[in-house]
Amino acid sequence: MSSTANVDKNSKYVGTIIGESTSREFRLAVAHETIREQDIIAVDAELRHPDGNQPPEQIRVWAKVQRIERLNPLFPSEAGHELAETRTDPFDTILSLSREMVTAVCQVLGAEPIDGKSGGKLDHLRYPPQPATRAYRPDSSDIARVVLGDLQEKQKRALDIATLSNRPEVDVLVDGHSIVTRHLAILAMTGAGKSVTARRIIEQLAKKNYPIVIFDPHGDYTGLSEVDGLKTRVKRYYAQFPIFEEDSETIAEIVNTLGYQLTDTMRSRFSDLFRAATSFIVDDPKEMKERTEWLAKAIGRPEIADYGVNPNMWLVANLAEAGELALRNDNGDENKAKLVELGWPGFDKYTKTDGRTLEGIKKRTYRAASALSRMEKTNQIVAKSAEPLPVDRKELVKYGQISIIALAGYTGDFQATIYSLIADTIFEARVTGELRLPTLLLLEEAHNFAPARAMTPAEHRAISTTKQIAQEGRKFGVGLILVSQRPSRLDETTLSQANSFIIMRMVNPADQNFVRKVIETLGEDEARILPDLDVGEAILSGQLINFPVLVKIKKSESEGEREEKDAFEELEKAYKDLRNNQS
Amino acid sequence: MTIFNQNDPKRLTEDGVREDLQRQPHIFMKLAENALTVAESLRDNYFKNTASFVAALRRAIHAAGQGQRTEAILETANIPRLDWEMLRDEVVTFIDGGVGNVQISSQIPILLRVGSYMVRTGERNLAEREHFGYYPVILGDLEGGSKERSDFIDIVRITAELLGGLSALQRTPDLRVLMFHGPLVYLMSGYAGHTPFTEKDIDLFLDQYAPDRELGQNLKDEFLEQAKLDIYPQMTDRSDEWSERRIFEPLSWIAFLYRKLIQEAKIRNPRPVIVGVVERGKLREFSEKKLLERVFRGLRQKGNEDYFNKMYGRTDLKSPKNLLDRLGYTDTLLLAMILEPGQMSETWDISKYAGLREGNISLPGEAGTSRVNYAPLKSSQIGFPDIQGCYLHVSETTEPIRIEVFKELGGNQITEAAGRTYLYSRMLPGYGFPIGLDIADKYAHVPNWLTNAYGKLIKHQLGVSLQSGEISDAQMRRILIQAIYMTHRDWLFRPNN
Ligand SMILES: Nc1ncnc2c1ncn2[C@@H]1O[C@H](COP(=O)(O)OP(=O)(O)O)[C@@H](O)[C@H]1O
Ligand SMILES: [Mg+2]
Repeated sequence: MSSTANVDKNSKYVGTIIGESTSREFRLAVAHETIREQDIIAVDAELRHPDGNQPPEQIRVWAKVQRIERLNPLFPSEAGHELAETRTDPFDTILSLSREMVTAVCQVLGAEPIDGKSGGKLDHLRYPPQPATRAYRPDSSDIARVVLGDLQEKQKRALDIATLSNRPEVDVLVDGHSIVTRHLAILAMTGAGKSVTARRIIEQLAKKNYPIVIFDPHGDYTGLSEVDGLKTRVKRYYAQFPIFEEDSETIAEIVNTLGYQLTDTMRSRFSDLFRAATSFIVDDPKEMKERTEWLAKAIGRPEIADYGVNPNMWLVANLAEAGELALRNDNGDENKAKLVELGWPGFDKYTKTDGRTLEGIKKRTYRAASALSRMEKTNQIVAKSAEPLPVDRKELVKYGQISIIALAGYTGDFQATIYSLIADTIFEARVTGELRLPTLLLLEEAHNFAPARAMTPAEHRAISTTKQIAQEGRKFGVGLILVSQRPSRLDETTLSQANSFIIMRMVNPADQNFVRKVIETLGEDEARILPDLDVGEAILSGQLINFPVLVKIKKSESEGEREEKDAFEELEKAYKDLRNNQS
Repeated sequence: MTIFNQNDPKRLTEDGVREDLQRQPHIFMKLAENALTVAESLRDNYFKNTASFVAALRRAIHAAGQGQRTEAILETANIPRLDWEMLRDEVVTFIDGGVGNVQISSQIPILLRVGSYMVRTGERNLAEREHFGYYPVILGDLEGGSKERSDFIDIVRITAELLGGLSALQRTPDLRVLMFHGPLVYLMSGYAGHTPFTEKDIDLFLDQYAPDRELGQNLKDEFLEQAKLDIYPQMTDRSDEWSERRIFEPLSWIAFLYRKLIQEAKIRNPRPVIVGVVERGKLREFSEKKLLERVFRGLRQKGNEDYFNKMYGRTDLKSPKNLLDRLGYTDTLLLAMILEPGQMSETWDISKYAGLREGNISLPGEAGTSRVNYAPLKSSQIGFPDIQGCYLHVSETTEPIRIEVFKELGGNQITEAAGRTYLYSRMLPGYGFPIGLDIADKYAHVPNWLTNAYGKLIKHQLGVSLQSGEISDAQMRRILIQAIYMTHRDWLFRPNN
């Protein structure tokens, strides 16, 4: 600290320490309107060494304004009632309105040598600052230094994602390393700016070539591929539901929900049918062609021979139909034998009655297949991609690549299942060492993938996958970014494994309480301001930052799919297009 | 607002009075307290008898109001109803003194502070609207006054408050109302006999009061001149010596300040209203000299002299004084039961100086005493001014308050003061006292900072040193004073910007 710094400390004066001061908290008497909640301020102090031989150490104590109390002690509430009763303007009376007490309650963040030579790393304060000391507003560069803390020396880890909310000139860099290794949760209500924040972080991580896999239920991340420099590195996939990776029980369940209810008899035959369908697909292309042609003929659908069969629900339905026909037709013996040969267990013992059962299964499975196709179609449209998921899902993880898996179009259980399959594979591959690169998984709508209370088997599976990655991911280089607008519906164990948090506007009290309970680093006063945050404002808390701060997230370069447009303007535009086309 | 109905016949009965009392717990408590202190024979039917006495008073007042009785025993009137709209752009100053104590085994007053609150109604610019002032006096610094007397602090406070008021008047050319907390003039005879202040003492007072030295000097000189010519010679045969030593005999100095106040007010147009407002007053002069005097006269007229003796089963209740002595009634207690909320009593000349007579005094630094005659200070020429007062009943849940004004400033004073006092008090209906005085009181209150933050030893040292005037270093003294005020009240002293 030079002497000029002392001079302008006067103009930066914000208040004087009053009352009882502790090494954790102190109170400032401040002038009206000179300070805001979450402001970062400093107080200079002198620490004597207990042995008394060395010269006293000059330190700067950093603190954050947690809350501001404003009181007019000369205005009793009784008088207020009288004013209300008589509708009197207080200025017309003899009431005193000028003597407000404004007190800022400040939380001590830590201390550093006054010359700032420790590089922004703050030590614990072990002795309270002196009452009557003046507090001041530090220089931007000093604030930037302490907000950065250790990161100073580890610039490579730093992600440029925000500015201080109350000091826009101060950039806030966060620790990317702890985000990718120790999980980050971005929690806020809808529209608060979670997706923008997540995209901003992804864009920053992409600069460091970190492999990222995004599970995107709404198409919030497709915009990433339109950003210069990312175009070639973003891969968007649409998701097919890989039914043959599931057991027959699960698939029967899907038919139940997407088609109609299967009867018990149907259920008992369904597993045989599913086995047949599973073994239908073989690697040998010649054999495959033969099988396909046979199937097309057996059920009288020549188009199958043209398009080929795929490992999907249609195949199951086709085989059910083939089975039904073979049992019903009087000359179906040949096809019967073929089906046994193809691996349909016990088909030779099937009777005419089973033919009716298979008919029922067929109808339901076709219906389910068509519902599933519809989801897939929607999914493909939202994904804006014709690229299906790679067969080897480890391919999703590549140096410098951002893989976006579109989940839009699918209902919750399908999304959860698709997610589980992919995340399991990747995690597995990291555990076995098959996958050499570390990776970061981003879960948008994370409460669907890590729900506090799993209701369906698909959810059970998803939560166990997520929980495992949350708990062990750090060891195996798999990180998580959990994004959710319903934090209170998130699994607590999973969330508590996150070491970094970005909390944005949140009005639901249940969510506020939950967040407050789970996040140790979030103070009561910070929790209190959550409902008042603006769009894009956030409290950063945890390992990504030196101490919790209120920031404004910088806007991402990429746009979201669902940027708000004026509904009526859109209508007029569409109508104009329509008329132009007609004329 | 009022639950009383003038024309409700029930009001005029014993039952009616009892019902009213039940709605006024503070009066009920007072009566209960009294019942315990009066003679045993009066105790049993104290409530009942009080109720029937009050009912009789109410009936008499009512009868006079209806023209059924020629001589009124009490004239009541509605307090003039003002509203804030009418009082816009008025400058009002409130004055209140407080005492700072140090809690050791006994309380040692360390310093005294007078607070003032000036406000301009209707002004929206806060810097223009409100001004707070404070005038601290460290008691230990004073050479004069008889410190061993428990009322030492009072003469210091009276002096400081008066200087605060005078200063407010002189500094504010358009001051409309000057309101003091407490009697406008105290019963001065009680304060007779204090050792005079030295000129150095007066300088300490004036230090706080005068905007510039010259004004302070003029005030001193003016007093000393009057004292030398007219006042001291009438009080003592050592007047030459008093004048030579430039000593300020407290009562004559205080009287001088009152006269200054009136003199200053008289040249203003419109004349500022100068009023003292007394809460929880113990005075019974109005009951004795006015209310009950008329009651007794009426009884005598009707040959009913034994009315009260019969009622209470006694023989000694023969005069207002006896009655009040025996039954423990005061002005506020009786008037609380008689005046309705929003009503005021008639105005009367309050006798403040009856006890001023000869006494003893010792001069600063002098062991022995000499004779002094305070009686000349009864004259408003060289002594105290005449005071008029009346009672206001602000709200049902509060006792009547007394307001006092200078008779010399004209008959309007009491009406103007009553209207404003009532309006100011409506802001604190639960207290029934002008809120501006409450503000000045909070402001002048000397906090108990010393008691909670620091050890007993320090407190003791500090207290004793200040008390005895040991600490003479100016810097040190300022720090100590500041330290005493270092509490959450600091904001009060921040500069107006
Ligand atoms: N940091 C920001 N700066 C500016 N505008 C923002 C910011 N964050 C969000 N917004 C605005 O708010 C809208 C909603 O943000 P989004 O991230 O989609 O919210 P959420 O994902 O929480 O529902 C965005 O379209 C954008 O217009
Ligand atoms: Mg979103």
